[in-house]
Amino acid sequence: MKKILVVLLLLSVLLVGCAQQTVQPSATSTPTTQTTPSATSTPSTSAAEKILIGFSESKTGKFNAESKEQTNGFLLWMENVNAEGGIYVKDLGKKVKVSYTSYDDESSGERVQQIYAKLISEDKADFLISPYSSGLTASAAIIAEQYGKVMVATGAASDSIFNKGYQHVFQLYTPSSRYLTSAVDLLQTKFPDAKKVAIVYENSKFAKSVAQATKSYAEEKGLEVVLYEAYEPGTTDFTSFINKIQAANPDAIIGGGHFADGETFAKQIFEKKVKIKLLSLLVAPAVPEFAEIGDAALYVTGPSQWEPQAKYTKEAAQKMGVEFFGPTVEEFVKEYKAKYGYEPGYHAAGGYAAGLILQKAIEDAGTLDSEKVREALENMKVMTFFGYLEFEKGEYYGRQIGHDMVVIQWQESDGQLKKEVVWPETGASSQVIAYDEKY
Amino acid sequence: MPFFEQLAGNLVYGAILGSVYGLSTMGLSLIFGVLRIVNVGHGPFIMLGAFTAFWMFTLFGIAPVVSISVALVLGLALGFVIFFAVIRRLINAPELSTLLATFAIGIFLEEIAKFMWGPDHRGYSWDIGDIDIGITLIPYSKILAFISSIIIAYLLYMWFQKTKLGAAIRAVVEDSGGAAACGINVGRIYALSFAIGIGLTVASGVLVTLFVPVGINPYMGHEYTLKAFVIAVLGGLASPWGAFYAGFIFGLIENGSYTLLGLIPGVEPFSLTRFVAFSLLLVILLIKPTGLLGGENK
Repeated sequence: MKKILVVLLLLSVLLVGCAQQTVQPSATSTPTTQTTPSATSTPSTSAAEKILIGFSESKTGKFNAESKEQTNGFLLWMENVNAEGGIYVKDLGKKVKVSYTSYDDESSGERVQQIYAKLISEDKADFLISPYSSGLTASAAIIAEQYGKVMVATGAASDSIFNKGYQHVFQLYTPSSRYLTSAVDLLQTKFPDAKKVAIVYENSKFAKSVAQATKSYAEEKGLEVVLYEAYEPGTTDFTSFINKIQAANPDAIIGGGHFADGETFAKQIFEKKVKIKLLSLLVAPAVPEFAEIGDAALYVTGPSQWEPQAKYTKEAAQKMGVEFFGPTVEEFVKEYKAKYGYEPGYHAAGGYAAGLILQKAIEDAGTLDSEKVREALENMKVMTFFGYLEFEKGEYYGRQIGHDMVVIQWQESDGQLKKEVVWPETGASSQVIAYDEKY
Repeated sequence: MPFFEQLAGNLVYGAILGSVYGLSTMGLSLIFGVLRIVNVGHGPFIMLGAFTAFWMFTLFGIAPVVSISVALVLGLALGFVIFFAVIRRLINAPELSTLLATFAIGIFLEEIAKFMWGPDHRGYSWDIGDIDIGITLIPYSKILAFISSIIIAYLLYMWFQKTKLGAAIRAVVEDSGGAAACGINVGRIYALSFAIGIGLTVASGVLVTLFVPVGINPYMGHEYTLKAFVIAVLGGLASPWGAFYAGFIFGLIENGSYTLLGLIPGVEPFSLTRFVAFSLLLVILLIKPTGLLGGENK
């Protein structure tokens, strides 16, 4: 009997480990085998005749799906720019076509470093685009910086890549520290009476860092954070937690973590008929499957890097007094659908935007010289279909400071749940509706 | 009185959740009581029940309450298959063999589920209204889960007490050698008990989805395996009824502790759920190693 209990206890401990592994996406990389990488593109000729862009993609491993989208987006950009004869380089007085070289990084950080070194020293890539994910981009950034090559980082939201003193890495995604600050802005602008916020988050590295940043932002903006508390990863029963939230009587609940907990949390908030103006959660609402909880999904909001409904237009750019560059949202969505047969998500949009921003920087610099292009990126203020883009020049050099998360809200049209973009105002496809309107 | 209201609300939900915990642990305790096998692959059977409810609802629109009986039958059948394929050979095997075998069955079921349905998190929406009891709001679906689990536990109890087969199972629990000497086919009782244990567990998976209808995925069982172990020990391991009561107690303590621990400044009780559960287990093992509701150490 006692022996069994001891074994049981040990097994339980083991299971705790297993359970945690399944809920937290790990950032570590798998070991790689040494195989010769296979080039998947035309080799570059002389720099003056072609601009060679190098990157690694995760054709195998855990990032396979997202990375493929990102590459698809990039390829569409390349096709478009080459159809117009290439990128105009003033120094050469002509348009230069773009080609690319890429290798499979197997979703592994070690592989990424070998690949980027090879891209620069052997393939003589002119410019670099990051791999998908923050982890891999952090690995690639070290190499790009060592060789002094400009790398546009897409598919990477981590802030910590940018406080290492790099001077050549430029981020397109809104950094994770600002994932939920848009929700705070939305709350203050649209519901000015709302003063009290509950910030509740999954006790994981990602959600905690977002929650901390959101808390200081909310307090800075004069909101009262009436509850700031974490819940265990993998929580399935939030009812007691919601009792506590209700007791604090907030006007908005902001936080969350990953998909499963976010969905459960939203469901149970609805069951308890919590009266709030705004419910904004990480990850879960942006995923299409979120609609399966039915009425519980209605009027829930969440951040997303980009959505096909976003209305970043030339008029919006004019209002801000900046240039609009590249295709409109409609053009991008239409062309992407025509080429790949389905609607693009933000990974694909990020891939396209990476090419677009390089194009803009090269045109602004008028040369293929890395340092000049770097300066052009540093000074860039531009509106694109992906949103407004501008890069930090201070401590976190290269971090994205222009791009805002769009806030999506699940709304009803013709009895169907549909995602609408409700923030930022310049890109909104619909007006935000108070969460408690649904009761 | 917001504090007491909050505590009372938590306790109400604790009782409902506790009834689901209790039923989901009964199968584990029954199997241990009769066969002396710890089913460490317990959670995946709950997962199968959850998927049963999900598919019956999304494919055929069948109310999850009805799916309880479907899951019970499926679980019974699966229990017999696994018994004759695997467990029968392990009746007198060393503990480590049975632990390994049941662990393997669990992983096998999870991977089969992932192969067939993919790793996605699924959920359904069966909203049938709710009732306001003053201190808190309770959806009817949760009340149904509560009532169903009590009915199932009661029926099982009556079956054990009033029928010959039930008496035979009790006899085997008391003394399998003696039972065999009295002409009871112990092998058959083993098979039946294992199947009932699995049937109960799969059925409780349906109840789990009545409580939380989302997050249904192949690996959802882990969380419940952990809690079932704690509850089984709390209930004295070998007693299904003890497990049922212990489930209640566990639900009440778990949810009550959220409010009480929250009184301590700087403590975030909702990020400590596993800590609370396992501290409880350790304390019980220290004070009463036979379990809170268990009898003498056999």
